Amino acid sequence: MKKQTSRAVLVVVALAFILPLMIILLWSVTVSWPFPDLFPREFGLRGLAQIFEEGSRALESLYTSVKISLWVTILTLMITIPGGKALGIYDFPGKAFIKIFALAPLIISPVAIGMGIHSTFIRLGLTNTELGVVLIHIVPGIPYGIRIFTNIFELVGNQLEEQGKVLGANSFQVFFHITLPTILPGLISAGSMIFIISFSQYFLTFLIGGGSVITFPLMMVPYIQSGDRTMAASYSAVFIVVTLCGLLAIEKVLKLYYSKSSGIAGAFYTRKKVKS
Amino acid sequence: MFGVKKTQLTPYIYLLPVISILLFVFTLGLVMSIFQSIGVHGDSGFENLTVEYYREVFRSGGFRSGLFFSLRVSLISTGIAVIIGVGLAYLLVMQQREWKILQILLKLPIIVPHLVAAFIIFTLFSQSGILARIGVLLGLMEHPREFPGLIFDRQGVGVILAYVWKGTPFIFLIVYQVLRSIHGEMVEAARNLGAKGKDLFFEIFLPLSIPSVFSTFIILFAFSFGSYEIPFLLGPTSPRALPVLAYVEYIHPDWMNRPYAMAMNMVLAGISVFLVWLYHWVFKKFRRHNWEGRSR
Repeated sequence: MKKQTSRAVLVVVALAFILPLMIILLWSVTVSWPFPDLFPREFGLRGLAQIFEEGSRALESLYTSVKISLWVTILTLMITIPGGKALGIYDFPGKAFIKIFALAPLIISPVAIGMGIHSTFIRLGLTNTELGVVLIHIVPGIPYGIRIFTNIFELVGNQLEEQGKVLGANSFQVFFHITLPTILPGLISAGSMIFIISFSQYFLTFLIGGGSVITFPLMMVPYIQSGDRTMAASYSAVFIVVTLCGLLAIEKVLKLYYSKSSGIAGAFYTRKKVKS
Repeated sequence: MFGVKKTQLTPYIYLLPVISILLFVFTLGLVMSIFQSIGVHGDSGFENLTVEYYREVFRSGGFRSGLFFSLRVSLISTGIAVIIGVGLAYLLVMQQREWKILQILLKLPIIVPHLVAAFIIFTLFSQSGILARIGVLLGLMEHPREFPGLIFDRQGVGVILAYVWKGTPFIFLIVYQVLRSIHGEMVEAARNLGAKGKDLFFEIFLPLSIPSVFSTFIILFAFSFGSYEIPFLLGPTSPRALPVLAYVEYIHPDWMNRPYAMAMNMVLAGISVFLVWLYHWVFKKFRRHNWEGRSR
């Protein structure tokens, strides 16, 4: 294929994927857009105003969603960092099996898992609670965390941590000043992925949350079903913007932390990366 | 002696939290599903062990057509996503510039939830959607009814489109990373030896990226095969996709219907697991017969 043709194909296909998003954004500020017009007749903020109304259920659900997803992100990172370290650095009996086991939630349907655990959660009083929803949201994020941290620990090893210990740092100092900064790139990509997965969860939330835990996606679905495009589009737009802000915040917070801690670890990481 | 033991235990201690959660939520959920699907209950224990639920599920026409629907929709949507995604990745890696903006824009569909993807397909392809309006503009049709019903249709076109929109950027990103790491030296070497565009694609890029293409294929397939949102919003009422069908059985007022839901879930999970096994098996063969032979 000629250079020009391949460039044109790239642009056209990319546009085909991006334009639909623009149309959604347009719908979110539209009041009237009757068939068969190609452009809206009347713009207005009905949808967005309804979401951002003081004390609206939508805002409340957005708050619940962000809270749940942040907890899920923090907790999943807390359990997958050491898990990935074990799989990336050590050799031990059962390693191959655990590697597959940790990736299994990617393959086995969350619908099956959710329905299976439902009765147990009811018995333990975890249904209809935010804790129950957080617990079930952690599962689909685990494969991403484990995969990313395993790869990164395979790359950086633990020599630097050992040196820190030799020089007299305690475990906390080693973790916060050496381990975390070295795995920062993975922390950002894993954290973003886990946040997105939890934030966009619908089925598991309504199954385990049982109508008591109302997240943003749960508020949105009735509008999609009823075909209220202005409302559905407004929800979608807010959803996308909040997700982007969430991701940006995760990255900024981590980078800020990174620049404050010792730069040695970072230098070590980049050197390793260049070498490999 | 104690010291040796302690270091041997270290990886297990590190893994303890994540394994505990997996055992408590994931494995327990799976085991409970399996138990309920073979008639094991809390009260009666293993007394009423049976495969009757599976037999009956397979006898029902709704299940069989649902299974077929889910398989077809997942295979077609993942196939299309892989073809477009790999094509895009290849085209981009052959460009001189990196086109950061294009990469960033193509990442957007990944952060968009499936619910929004369903809504996007609805606004584009419904009978009063954007495409129908373009049809009117071009004089191809006048009334929404004349536009083919692509949403809620028995063929699952709307469901397929939504999965393609979500899946393609995912494939593209992963394959692009792989291709970019292959690029550089190996491509230079091949070019020096006289390889052209087509040779580069079929002799270098394709074979080297096939493992990651296949593993992403399986992840995407398993996802679309086992997820609820998109067929729930865009799929037909008959046939129903398996996860939707299973949930309908699950919330049936009669509790005795739950084992059927569980049996459906297990068929669903079983097929995905079989695919992963097939993938490993194929690659073992592939590596033994083809790769090593070639490189020697």
